Amino acid sequence: MSDDMLRAPAEVKYAEELDWLESIDDGPKPFTWRLSPRMIRLFILGSERSDGLDREIPQKWFGDRSFVERSIVTLASDRGLLLIGDPGTGKSWLAELLAAAICRNSTLVVQGTAGTTEDHIKYSWNVSMVIAKGQSRESMIPSPIMTAMENGVIGRFEELTRSTSDVQDALISILSEKYVSIPELDDHNIVFAQPGFSIIATANSRDRGVNDLSSALKRRFNFVRIPVVTNKKSEAEIVRFRTEELLRRHQIELDLPPTLLDILLQSFADLRSAAASATSDDEKLESALSTAEQIGVLEDAILHSQFFGDRVLRAQTLAGSLVGSLARRTPEDLAILNKYWHGVVEPRSKKDGGPWQEFLEGGREAIATLS
Amino acid sequence: MSTFDPLREQLAQAAREFGGDTVSGILSGMVNDVDRALREELEIFPVCHHSPASGLAMVRRLREKQPKVIYLELCEDLRPLLTELRNCRLPVAVQAFATDLDGFPKDWAPLSVVAPITEASAEYQAISYALETPGVELVLVDRSTDHVFQWAPKEEPQHGPKEEEAGLHGDAVGVEIGDLRPRFAELEEHLLHHGKVRHWSEWWDQYVEQPLSGADYDTYRQVMVLIGSLFRRLNPDERRLAVDEDRERYMWTRMREHLATSGADPADCLYVCGAFHAASHVEQFGLRSTAPFEITPRTGTTWLYGLIPSSHSAIEAQFGLASGSVSIAAATWAKAVARSGLTPFQLAGQKGTRKRVTKLPAPKPEIAPADKLTGFLSRPPVLDELDQSELLGWCVDIVRLARRNGYLASTADAIAVFETSILLAGLRNRARPTPYDFQDAAVTCIEKDVVPGRRDVRRLCEILLGGDRVGEVGYDALPPLAKNVYDRLEPLGLDLTKRTIQRALLDLNADPHLVPCSDLLWMLRYLLPHDAVRPIMGERRLGERSIQESWDLSFGKHQRSIIELGYEGVTIEQVLEQRLRRKVWHPKATAAVALAAVEDAVLYLGSKRFADELGARAVELLATERSVDDAPEVLRRIRRLMAYYRANEPELPTWCEEFATAGYAHYCTLLPTAFVDDDTGVRQVAAMLGFLFSMESLALALGCDRAQLELAVRQSHPESPAKVAVLWAARTQLGLLTQGELRSRCDELLANPLVVPSFPQYIMGFVQAMEPVPALSGFVVEVISKAFGRLPDNVLLPWLPRLITTLRDQASELMPALVREAGRTFPGSLAAVDAWTPPWSARPARPKAASVPVASGPVTELLMGHPAACDAVAGLLGCAGEWRTASGTDHEEVGALLAEYPEPALAVAALLA
Repeated sequence: MSDDMLRAPAEVKYAEELDWLESIDDGPKPFTWRLSPRMIRLFILGSERSDGLDREIPQKWFGDRSFVERSIVTLASDRGLLLIGDPGTGKSWLAELLAAAICRNSTLVVQGTAGTTEDHIKYSWNVSMVIAKGQSRESMIPSPIMTAMENGVIGRFEELTRSTSDVQDALISILSEKYVSIPELDDHNIVFAQPGFSIIATANSRDRGVNDLSSALKRRFNFVRIPVVTNKKSEAEIVRFRTEELLRRHQIELDLPPTLLDILLQSFADLRSAAASATSDDEKLESALSTAEQIGVLEDAILHSQFFGDRVLRAQTLAGSLVGSLARRTPEDLAILNKYWHGVVEPRSKKDGGPWQEFLEGGREAIATLS
Repeated sequence: MSTFDPLREQLAQAAREFGGDTVSGILSGMVNDVDRALREELEIFPVCHHSPASGLAMVRRLREKQPKVIYLELCEDLRPLLTELRNCRLPVAVQAFATDLDGFPKDWAPLSVVAPITEASAEYQAISYALETPGVELVLVDRSTDHVFQWAPKEEPQHGPKEEEAGLHGDAVGVEIGDLRPRFAELEEHLLHHGKVRHWSEWWDQYVEQPLSGADYDTYRQVMVLIGSLFRRLNPDERRLAVDEDRERYMWTRMREHLATSGADPADCLYVCGAFHAASHVEQFGLRSTAPFEITPRTGTTWLYGLIPSSHSAIEAQFGLASGSVSIAAATWAKAVARSGLTPFQLAGQKGTRKRVTKLPAPKPEIAPADKLTGFLSRPPVLDELDQSELLGWCVDIVRLARRNGYLASTADAIAVFETSILLAGLRNRARPTPYDFQDAAVTCIEKDVVPGRRDVRRLCEILLGGDRVGEVGYDALPPLAKNVYDRLEPLGLDLTKRTIQRALLDLNADPHLVPCSDLLWMLRYLLPHDAVRPIMGERRLGERSIQESWDLSFGKHQRSIIELGYEGVTIEQVLEQRLRRKVWHPKATAAVALAAVEDAVLYLGSKRFADELGARAVELLATERSVDDAPEVLRRIRRLMAYYRANEPELPTWCEEFATAGYAHYCTLLPTAFVDDDTGVRQVAAMLGFLFSMESLALALGCDRAQLELAVRQSHPESPAKVAVLWAARTQLGLLTQGELRSRCDELLANPLVVPSFPQYIMGFVQAMEPVPALSGFVVEVISKAFGRLPDNVLLPWLPRLITTLRDQASELMPALVREAGRTFPGSLAAVDAWTPPWSARPARPKAASVPVASGPVTELLMGHPAACDAVAGLLGCAGEWRTASGTDHEEVGALLAEYPEPALAVAALLA
């Protein structure tokens, strides 16, 4: 089934693994959860030999164990979970994995935007049906959150802080009273949440101050802050994991040379430290330099080499993609990249040689083309 | 057959199944180590630092065995200090300190070793037992502090910056009893990963501390030695291991020596050491060993000893433990003591503790140890039951604490924290939430997107679970200097032992008996870190005296600094004198440093003799100085000192006079070089001239010769425009150049387009020259005004910021004169500006043409005879002139005078004829 989809949700993609875990799970399960908290942790963070399982469960989310534990425990309590962090830190991916593991449905998602209305959170009406038959449960269109309530599963709210405050506050009653009333109807006019219902929201810490959460809503959420991954080893794992998935999705057979991965990680680490020491916004790249950004650069390079190159990933292409993805503002970003290329990459290519040399040339060309 | 043979066999079996020979070697080796340590005739008590389980086991064992001699793994030379522990509030650290090094590289100074002691530790129990029980001897057997550095690698120790409380130990090297932690980074990582914990303290707490806290003595001992043996066997750090082995040789040698001399029965002795050392492999291990070990003599370094306050966070920072772990250990200890019903040992009179009466029961007979390891290793740990009321208490308290720190926490949060803690503990395989689970739960439920106050929830949890405890050294355990300080500040009537800031108000007019306190506070201000003693009101400057002073004193927090002053001398005055003396005799000392020291000596010590001694050194330093970089500082200080002496003493001290004459000769000599040397700034040259001109009268009176200065100025040929300007100013001062000439030179410069770009530099020179030549300030105002008026913008604008920064840097010296002069020159009101002409542009009233005497002579006669040529030239040039006769009679007064008294003129004419 997952072959028919461009991107299968986690519960489809890992269906077989989840089935297997469910079959061996003998731990206590809260509410109507399909897996016990320990199994969920195992599903997300992968198994080890000491777990004594018959098969290996690969790690799917890379980060501190305690974040996952705190998230699972929050969902087992009666509070919502708010994952907060910089763009590209894997918040949505973690939310998806949690929802898939807990209730096998990660698709009940509301995307928070400036245009999100209360209807997207509660319910709306099928106008033609209302004209034909009047207002009834049939002519009502429940929102993903309401569906989650009815089914006792996890509802997701992406980018909570992008939606306006009045829309956010519609969540307060859902999270505390756990029901939605439909005043338009005379009977069956209250939808109660079934056990197992909870909400996983994500918020971008860069959006702070745009639509701040009210304290009433904050109180109903437990916050789990996901930091940017700075550990090189886990970052390499994440990039490799996501890229392999991508290659599979595009059915591309291409080797990812470890040296190139090192170059990519090293450049991002350098650029991050440069951004950390910058004193004004003009001195740092607009990009947050997150792990997701790295994956984007690598994806771009892979696709480029696949379709326009000789189907081998080269340092030159990688450099071109890096410059292309990170240079968003002209001339500020280009100036920073130019400085980086001549101040850091050039001496390094002289010292280490090898692919750094090609990387240097590729970057130079890309900067020259864009300037 | 040995007790451990079945276990050994079992492990060998396991090794055969899962691993190779290496694993088998390690596993059987570990059992052998345990077996050997337990069979040793001298009972070995393995401990781990900051482990409540060790403490509890120690209390139990001491009560059972009641040994007569206790050997402790602690630097042997620290022994005399331990009796002083009773005067302190724990945690404190025992410190050895050395500044005068002999046998170590000089740049290592000062050397400092600290051994922190907390109440929850096994070593404190052993010390208290030994010191409080009659007939028990406490013997420290580890290498001396001197050997710590003898065996240290010969490279300079690196020190990083530390936080406020965490920095209580300063830069000292820490020694600790029972250091037990994997030295193999991968092993630690592996243990943490598989233990599903975040840091080492948490791992230890979960896997060793909790299972061992209620265990019997045999189990405790066997498990500890086993862990020590494991870490020892997986140790990649050869160098560190070599030092540890030397320590073990040292300790066993010392113990054998002691047993031989004292004749004590080994059965009555207890050897308390880290579990790592219990599994030692050195030949000297065991009382039966006869392997020799030569103990090297100590170096000639003089060591001083004292107690300094310590804190949990300082211990954590020093030994790389997770933040809060020592506090949590202390809380665990308190709870375990209450739960077990044991009465721990404590020193009589120990501050900050409950008085406990310890009556020892009769010792229990010895039973041969049985194999407890097999059971311990094969059985899952006995889990502690859920202590619900304790957890509830924590949850309520954390919410209260969070509210007080600005969080919007409520009872609902307390419930959520409680629930989350239990769920988290369940997820992590624990029946009872540990403090770490509770901390995570509190962070999850209470921490939102921003931290409202100074402390976040994690920190609040640490505070709740015991908090950072800071020790205090009691009065009786203080060195004489610190006691003296406290005694002398007694009249202030403040409790200086408090850790909060104390405000002292001194009305020196009303209470003259507080003057000595004020003097002492100023000295402490000089010697201690600046937050320790901070004057809020009142100043101490040469020739000034405060009527009232108010001080913020924070002695409680900075007790360590005061105690460390005690290592330098017996009184504050002595320490200050030594510091000043050391400063001026330092190989890199300069005359300016020496003058500063003189000023400090006058201000704080008031000793004329000592000030004169330092002054004499200043003269010496000045005479040997080859650079004039410090000239401005020297000038400022000597002027201030001379002003002070002139006002307060009947005559100048001899050294001042010598300084003036030596300085005059010195700066005269260096002046020509300074003028041309690129490295010497204008300010320095100006300061040299300032010294020369302002000390001139004194120096000349004392026998110097002005010709020396004039010659020096004549020999100076600067090239840089600023210095040229200074030279011109100097020449003006010496009368070698008039102000008119100076003005015309400047006007020429301004008129010459080739020189204009460098004109601002001339101005900078003139600005600096105001210091040595104050009479020039009017001229400086004139030059600056002209520059503003005539310099093109592209020259003027880039230079302005430099002018402003120069003036700001030296605002106190330059600005008053400049502003005063400008006020005199420029009109006071806006209306007056329109009608104002600068004094320098107002030409002297044009003299009447007639007043110019017309010379007579052959040239005049020739011109008068043939006026046509001159008229033509004048016509060409556009001049309307008129011819006047040479025999002018325009000077009527002169004519009248001569007519009335013709004799002198006639006499002169006759003489000339």
